[in-house]
Amino acid sequence: MEKLVPFLVSPGPINEPTSGLSLTSQEVLERFATRRKAFLAAGIAAGDRVFIGHGNSIAFFLDLLAVWASGACAVPLDGKLTAFECRNQIAAARPRFFIGTAATGDLFHDVLEENDVTYVESSPVETAVALEKAAVDQALAGLRDASGDALILFTSGSTGDPKGVVHTQATLRAKWAALSREIDAETLQRSLCMLPTHFGHGLICNALFPWLSGHELFLLPPFSAHSIMSLGSLLTRHKITFISSVPAIWQLALKTRRPSPSHLLQVFCGSAPLSRHLWQDIVAWCGGAAVRNLYGITETGSWIAASPRHCTPADGLIGTPWGADFKVMASASPDQGPSKAVPCRSGETGHIWVKTEALMRGYLDRPDLTAEKVADGWFCTGDIGFFDAEGQLFLRGRERDEINRGGLKIYPADIESVISSFTAVRESCSFGHEDSRYGQSVAVAVVMAVDDPAALRDLYSWTTERLADHKVPTRWFLLKDIPKTDRGKINRANLAQYCAAQRPLDMKQILGGAE
Amino acid sequence: MSQPRAREELVTFLDSIRRPQMPVDAIADGDSLVDSGLIDSLAVLEIMLYLETNYGIDFAANGFDPAELSSISEILNLIEQRAP
Repeated sequence: MEKLVPFLVSPGPINEPTSGLSLTSQEVLERFATRRKAFLAAGIAAGDRVFIGHGNSIAFFLDLLAVWASGACAVPLDGKLTAFECRNQIAAARPRFFIGTAATGDLFHDVLEENDVTYVESSPVETAVALEKAAVDQALAGLRDASGDALILFTSGSTGDPKGVVHTQATLRAKWAALSREIDAETLQRSLCMLPTHFGHGLICNALFPWLSGHELFLLPPFSAHSIMSLGSLLTRHKITFISSVPAIWQLALKTRRPSPSHLLQVFCGSAPLSRHLWQDIVAWCGGAAVRNLYGITETGSWIAASPRHCTPADGLIGTPWGADFKVMASASPDQGPSKAVPCRSGETGHIWVKTEALMRGYLDRPDLTAEKVADGWFCTGDIGFFDAEGQLFLRGRERDEINRGGLKIYPADIESVISSFTAVRESCSFGHEDSRYGQSVAVAVVMAVDDPAALRDLYSWTTERLADHKVPTRWFLLKDIPKTDRGKINRANLAQYCAAQRPLDMKQILGGAE
Repeated sequence: MSQPRAREELVTFLDSIRRPQMPVDAIADGDSLVDSGLIDSLAVLEIMLYLETNYGIDFAANGFDPAELSSISEILNLIEQRAP
């Protein structure tokens, strides 16, 4: 039996400013207890995996708590996935149940039926319920006593080999316990989440941590331009004291009117590199709030380091650990991890390793992948950085293949597995290209087996049918062959550099010639 | 600038930021640029930059309603009312 950190207080009030829906803490408890009862009646039981096919809503959070109180493990789904991607994730996680709304139920109907997954409709939040206190207490006890796997977050493998990060109730509680030592209650009074709730940063840290600590949570649709453009007035109207976000959101928000008056106490930014200039602009826009650069990865339950509350913005500054130990090592190999080799000295750049109680249990059904990244409890982050003489950690790059599009990580293997499975494609390689809006966007180099624009048009349709919108490459390069190293391997960084000097395909023109 | 000219320039600009599979002439002036799939939601940032650069509209100073950037017609109205 796992030793659990005591559960944080209990859920606070929750609001959806866009729809006007809101629940008091008591209403949250009653509605979540009702859902739990319905889930148990539907057959959801301890050890089950349950997909939740909607997000960023009060209904999602009630469903999540009810899944946990039933003893099951939740898999929040990215609502933007295509049915093709959903099929892959279902094949990997093998859920017994899928909780959705009418829209998601229709979209994934065939996939669920093929995989023998039972669909459970999420009940409307507005439905008032009258439950006896004993039933609510029983549901709360189910939540507090929950153990085992709690959450699977897919970081890649929507199309190819799946990579699901498994967090247990114990690792999540360790995360929240660590955060409660770092962030004061006054800051968290009224927290706003506008990040996706299938994403560790948005779900575990920005939303669940303040909310389960008894503070009031406000939810907005993820990456909604409408919400971002109204951010200043939303912050003022709802007296928001805390928000976390990503640089791409701030690029847009800074163009809009600032909150007046502002109640913000702390503003976090993470999931993508924050430049010193953007950091300074956010400080000016927020007018007095402490703006901090946060470092976190899904495998560690997100936030594990933060810049000091008051500091001079600097490129790459991620400050000091939160509930974690860091070592900068010369190697990323498990054989040369922190328990086996001597760490780099201050100022020396190397591979960042982290040890934390909030570290994932492992990658779902992939002990091979877990063993590549975890050695003696130390996790190799794939990021490169150094400690300065004052013990502040700085990031200087990364060794992971991922493409960071506005804070959402996209894995080239997912893109390549779809594109390379198109019959007229001989070879493909995907990489990130610089994008003023998102930091990075998806590019792909393809080698075609035929010289025919119609094949390119078909390839584009093939891709858009199978990949979520944000993963569809925005730059396409047609090559005669993909340059390789003398060992016959593709060097993604070199290929990106090579393509930067080439002219991308004019897909608008190619697709326009379809008639 | 006359509205037909402003419209022509706006359409040329939207053509430069649109998704490849969706030509600008496939939508009507009143259609939502984002809901129709012409642009992704954060591409609205580029429309703001276009209006700041070409028409001197200062969004940060004067604020605005996001609906004012939702369609070609709304953007043309905004230009007419807000361009200095």
